[in-house]
Amino acid sequence: MTGAAAKPPVLQLDGIVCGYDGLDVLKGISLTVHAGEFITVVGPNGHGKSTLLKTISGLVPLRGGQISIDGRRLSGKPHETAMLGVAHVPQGDMLFAQMSVLENLLMGGYLAPDKAEITRRLDEVYALLPKLADRRNQIASSLSGGERRMVGIGRGLMMGGRILLIDEPSLGLAPLIIDQVYDVISQLSKAGRTILLVEENPARVEDLADRLHLLDDGAIVWSGKPAELMARDELLATYLGG
Amino acid sequence: MTDVLMAILVAGFTSGALYALATVGLSLVWGSMGMLNMAHAAMLTLGGYVAFTVITSLGLPVAIGFAGAIVAGALAGAILYFAIVRNLLQNDKSTFEANVMIATVGIGIALENAILLTYGGQPLKQPVSIAGALRLGPLTLPWQNLLIIAVVVVMMVVVSAALGRTRMGRAIRATAQNRDAAQLMGVAVNRVYLQVLMLSGALAGICGVMVSSMTQLSPPLGNDPMLKAFIMCVVAGLGNLPGAIAAALGLALLESFVQYALGARWGFPSLLFVVIAVLIWRPSGLFGHAEIRRM
Ligand SMILES: Nc1ncnc2c1ncn2[C@@H]1O[C@H](COP(=O)(O)OP(=O)(O)OP(=O)(O)O)[C@@H](O)[C@H]1O
Ligand SMILES: [Mg+2]
Repeated sequence: MTGAAAKPPVLQLDGIVCGYDGLDVLKGISLTVHAGEFITVVGPNGHGKSTLLKTISGLVPLRGGQISIDGRRLSGKPHETAMLGVAHVPQGDMLFAQMSVLENLLMGGYLAPDKAEITRRLDEVYALLPKLADRRNQIASSLSGGERRMVGIGRGLMMGGRILLIDEPSLGLAPLIIDQVYDVISQLSKAGRTILLVEENPARVEDLADRLHLLDDGAIVWSGKPAELMARDELLATYLGG
Repeated sequence: MTDVLMAILVAGFTSGALYALATVGLSLVWGSMGMLNMAHAAMLTLGGYVAFTVITSLGLPVAIGFAGAIVAGALAGAILYFAIVRNLLQNDKSTFEANVMIATVGIGIALENAILLTYGGQPLKQPVSIAGALRLGPLTLPWQNLLIIAVVVVMMVVVSAALGRTRMGRAIRATAQNRDAAQLMGVAVNRVYLQVLMLSGALAGICGVMVSSMTQLSPPLGNDPMLKAFIMCVVAGLGNLPGAIAAALGLALLESFVQYALGARWGFPSLLFVVIAVLIWRPSGLFGHAEIRRM
């Protein structure tokens, strides 16, 4: 993104280390995301992609390094991170199962300053994801996988955050639905949203991402443009199994 | 015969209303934070004694007595949060459920004994009673029972409106359904826990006033309703509020009928029989979902 480098990054990770129990999953990751950028982290199953996003949003505690938003170091408390404008669309959607679609969306607007702002965001989400408007009164647990993903994304958008963290939006969906989901993400990116997305399959973000980081065993092993990675057969073979 | 039936129904609905109030307080805390509050009984008792003190010793109106019980219960909930729950939550989440149960058993015993020390063990009369009855043709409905049922209905409407329609209520339900997701949306779950404990304490306080108005004040006052409430919770499925209310009414009516038909001593065993049957055939409760773990 031209000119973006001059401003301080929206999100900056400096050598972050974190994990569960006795084990470190991320072993010193640094990356920067500037306003309006689309950054993707790609890596095989179980190598720490979700852990990375959870650490940024505060669900997994930091063991080392630091994370800052607009140059301000994060407290590590998830609700305070949300207040700083981080909207995390988690893997598995994590919807409020016994709530309606509308209530899920309203929870996304929990921190919104007033009713007018909630209505404005709701209109925006319904315009982008018209199906949610039709299903607004349906209970989340009865939605199809694709509808759930849309609610998850819609709920993230309702947060009005400046940076969207999206975890494997294609997971468990039929190819046609995956295209629809990525179409929505592409529209968001074109509208200027800042996006950090993790994915297993680099081909999906080839035309979308400004930069791509390859994550292997908790460390970033390669960074560059998605097209460059796609041209490097030996990298694809080594890290992503061809 | 209609007289007897009516008496059974009135008694059943009255105790059902009281059980429902105790159950909702217990169930709310379990459902949203995975905490079995063993001090709930003592909080009920506390409410009863605070109302007694306000009305009898301070000579203030009954309504202030009720308000005092609500405030005392809510404060007890807040103290429970700051003294115990907040600290236990900082430890490993997997040990929270067991630790908080043990800790609240201790708090409950301490509170009950503090009440015993302050007021003595002799039963006291709760000055919240209305004499007389409403006569509708052949029916006789004691005002005292009608008052209890009315208060409980009002409390239930207030609680369900608070949970269903307010931003705070939505955050409480969201935390109950998916704690991590609620945090991602910006909900400060610790504050939600504080709110839930205060709400539950307030309900316990008011419940204590009404239970003691039907019987007498004594330090173990809350134990019986708490035990029954626990049974209602298990039958309904822990954490399910509408189910808890339905179970409370259903089981209280069953208890009254059994007490009439087979004698008073069969009332409680009949409830235990239902619990055992439910645990065998529907382990997650009549209205429960398969997964009830939330932490
Ligand atoms: N709550 C947890 N407790 C213990 N270990 C965990 C937990 N969550 C994840 N892990 C472990 O951390 C490692 C990284 O998991 P993570 O979910 O971040 O991988 P991922 O790259 O997102 O994988 P996937 O593509 O399958 O979603 C895995 O080995 C996993 O087993
Ligand atoms: Mg993952």
